[in-house]
Amino acid sequence: MTTSAAPTPKSRPDAVKWSLPTRIVTRASGVVGLSLKILFLGIINAAAVWAASVLIGDEKWIAVAVLVVTTLALDAVFLVPGRLMPLKFLLPGTLFLLAFQVIPILYTAQIAFTNYSTGHVLAKNEAIDAIEETSLAPPAGGKTYTLAPAFDSDRNLVLLLVDDSTGDAYVGTKDGLEPLPEEGTRVSNGVVTAAEGYRLVTGPALFTLDRQLSTYRVPVDGAAIRPEGIDGAVELEPTLRHDDEADTFTRIASGKVFREHEGAYVAADGEALEPGWKTGVGWHNFTRVVDDPLIRRPFLRVFAWTIAFATLTVTLGFALGLLLAITLDKKFRFQRLYRTIFVIPYAIPSFLTLLVWAGLLNDDFGVVNNLLGTSIPWLFDPWWAKVSVIIVSIWLTFPYFFLVSLGALQSIPGELVDAARVDGAGVWQVSRRITFPLLMVAVTAVLIASFAFNLNN
Amino acid sequence: MLRKFRLRVGALSMLAAGSVVILATAPGAPARVGPEGTAVRAATTVVIWTDRDREADITALANAWAKPRGLTIKVVAKAEQNNIRSDFVTVQAADAPDVITGAHDWVGELAANGSILPISPKKTTLAQIPKYTRDAFSYGKTVSQLYGMPTHVENVGLFVNTQLAKVPKSWADLEKQALAFKRKGGGRVGIDVQQGSGGDAYHMYPFFSGLGGYVFGKTRGGALNPKLVGLDNAVFMRNAPMIDRWNRLGLINSKIDNNTASQLFTSKKAAFWVTGPWNIDTVRKAGIKFRIVQVPKIKLRAVPFLGVGGMMVTRFARTHSVESASKDFVASYMGTKNAQNFLTVKNGRYPANIQSAKSVKDVALRQIGLAGTGGVAMPNIPQMASVWNDLGLAWVKSTQGAGATKARVSFKAAARAIRQKIQ
Repeated sequence: MTTSAAPTPKSRPDAVKWSLPTRIVTRASGVVGLSLKILFLGIINAAAVWAASVLIGDEKWIAVAVLVVTTLALDAVFLVPGRLMPLKFLLPGTLFLLAFQVIPILYTAQIAFTNYSTGHVLAKNEAIDAIEETSLAPPAGGKTYTLAPAFDSDRNLVLLLVDDSTGDAYVGTKDGLEPLPEEGTRVSNGVVTAAEGYRLVTGPALFTLDRQLSTYRVPVDGAAIRPEGIDGAVELEPTLRHDDEADTFTRIASGKVFREHEGAYVAADGEALEPGWKTGVGWHNFTRVVDDPLIRRPFLRVFAWTIAFATLTVTLGFALGLLLAITLDKKFRFQRLYRTIFVIPYAIPSFLTLLVWAGLLNDDFGVVNNLLGTSIPWLFDPWWAKVSVIIVSIWLTFPYFFLVSLGALQSIPGELVDAARVDGAGVWQVSRRITFPLLMVAVTAVLIASFAFNLNN
Repeated sequence: MLRKFRLRVGALSMLAAGSVVILATAPGAPARVGPEGTAVRAATTVVIWTDRDREADITALANAWAKPRGLTIKVVAKAEQNNIRSDFVTVQAADAPDVITGAHDWVGELAANGSILPISPKKTTLAQIPKYTRDAFSYGKTVSQLYGMPTHVENVGLFVNTQLAKVPKSWADLEKQALAFKRKGGGRVGIDVQQGSGGDAYHMYPFFSGLGGYVFGKTRGGALNPKLVGLDNAVFMRNAPMIDRWNRLGLINSKIDNNTASQLFTSKKAAFWVTGPWNIDTVRKAGIKFRIVQVPKIKLRAVPFLGVGGMMVTRFARTHSVESASKDFVASYMGTKNAQNFLTVKNGRYPANIQSAKSVKDVALRQIGLAGTGGVAMPNIPQMASVWNDLGLAWVKSTQGAGATKARVSFKAAARAIRQKIQ
């Protein structure tokens, strides 16, 4: 290492007075800083290892790769000294931007191209299972049984069943239903309590068999006996059959065929089986806005009203605020008091303001109608309700424009106005040519921002 | 160079050590991952979602069920009942409930989504649960399945302040008493029933059914048919001018909202209030002597909408391997008289189980239960979502006092709007 490679800090001749934040930062570097850094990176790495274990379990390999690369990049940026310095700020910032802005937007956009909605929330295989299950119905004379799960001598799960109507005892296996010999079988209170050659499953052991038990089927001519809970079983037969090859459902009674169409099984006459599943539908959701009058008409109406609302609120609120600002820009008695009064609506929480206005505008008992001696349906008529909404939102916004305009007005140098006066400009000319353009320089950005805000308010 | 390298190695090893320490001490250390990628819960824990009002009772009940069976339960309480539904729609499998408490009118949507499992309770249990409550929890276009165990019934009734009025013998009697009371002035109203600017089709239903209105007709199989909208059926249209008369006389006024309705009755500015069991305590606290009856027959019996509360088994019970346990809890245990007594009477609701209903001792609760006799379960098909607003607004427009729309016009328009939405 040569002496010229790294400039060593020279002792400063004039002792610089460091500001407080700088001093704190300096204090926190060195050993303290390093250990803090290690701690935070440790937390991040620990979280990443945990997340990776979950993701590997879910076999989401792309996510695992992204996670590993990001974590390593973070470690590298914070541990490797020198060149990567700017990334210390850029990388976390970018990550937060991706996590909280870009990904939600992408996710929303992706959903917009699917049929995700009521009746279309499952995956296709789950939907097929659900259709098969909900198509089950008790056959004519279908029986119900009281169930006692048991193991046979080979430790296979069997169902010891007592027919609820006849009281006969059976043993149900995956091969079918066999009567239990009367000898060696004890039935009390309609349930098998002992059977020779079988070991009853009781207590907590019963519930650890859940998956086996709830998928257990005892075939009986076309139908099947299914356990329901832990102490009952029902005979049910399917009314729909899924053809795996053709990927269709057929109604067994009528032979009606249901084919896949936009995330559901649909018959030729339009009857659809529930549930459907989530699938991509391309631009369908967007073309509906244009094609379907039931969506287009309300959409256009709401859209027009939204624009009108934003425009009226901003222009009228600004006009009122500006007018007040110009008036209160001059010096006169109680000027400060007036200014304070006009800021008050801005200082009151808006939900309180809204409650107060709802009371003021009540048709029968409200102050507004009482004072005016009118009976305007402020909140009950669609048109008057719109007027009310605009009045209230002007009330909520004008103090803001008042403050902004007042500030902007006061920042316009007096010399400009004086110079214009000297050049012979009248009051109108001064405000039109000097004050207003300069004011708009400061206010335009604010107007655009509040228009955007009101558009989605 | 070497020194720097050593420093870096030192930092890295410290980092690694730090990570390991944090990882080891962190709660829920890794590797609790199941074969299908879902984090495995103990296969003997049943997760139940309910609302805060019922949390303590459900916890006690579920524990009483779980302990002797060697199971454990976890009760998650949502702030409001509606949060159960909205959170359930978007929940991830690992956090999902196995059992939810809910209202019967969720069944259509949840079943159409495939989010809840059909149950088949034993005949002895079913015999104790009235058919109309079971129908309310049933759904299916071709095969009707039972999707929940009804636990309690809610409906509105006519609360009569017995110090200000007599229990009406007939509709005419009610009209006469209510109008005479209103004429005393001082802000008194005729029949106190909440609507507000948004309308309230639920509270107005006795008047709707009393004039022959209904929401959906039925298919030949007895299932609700969303294509048969009954808001403008011939009988109701013939009787609709009565609404215009009520409006003219000021018997019913849509400007009364939820809060006003309660204030009017508790401050004795109303002698008749159409409301439900959730207000029994309010009325008692105000020290008012009252009786609850069904709204008297208008042209037809003025029956209320019934809301049936109950419990459902979600599809996640299967994923979590607690399907048989959850079904045992919902389909067997929650149907029993004792469980329903415990859950409902403490909460001031009328139990669904017939034996349990017979044993209700609270006078007001018995009365509100009787006021629901013959009631119509709110349609549980998803299309009902298109009805509430339009039906409520039709009432608002026709009972807003001056400038009201003729009932025939407003209900016809509402029916048209609803048909358009349902197609």
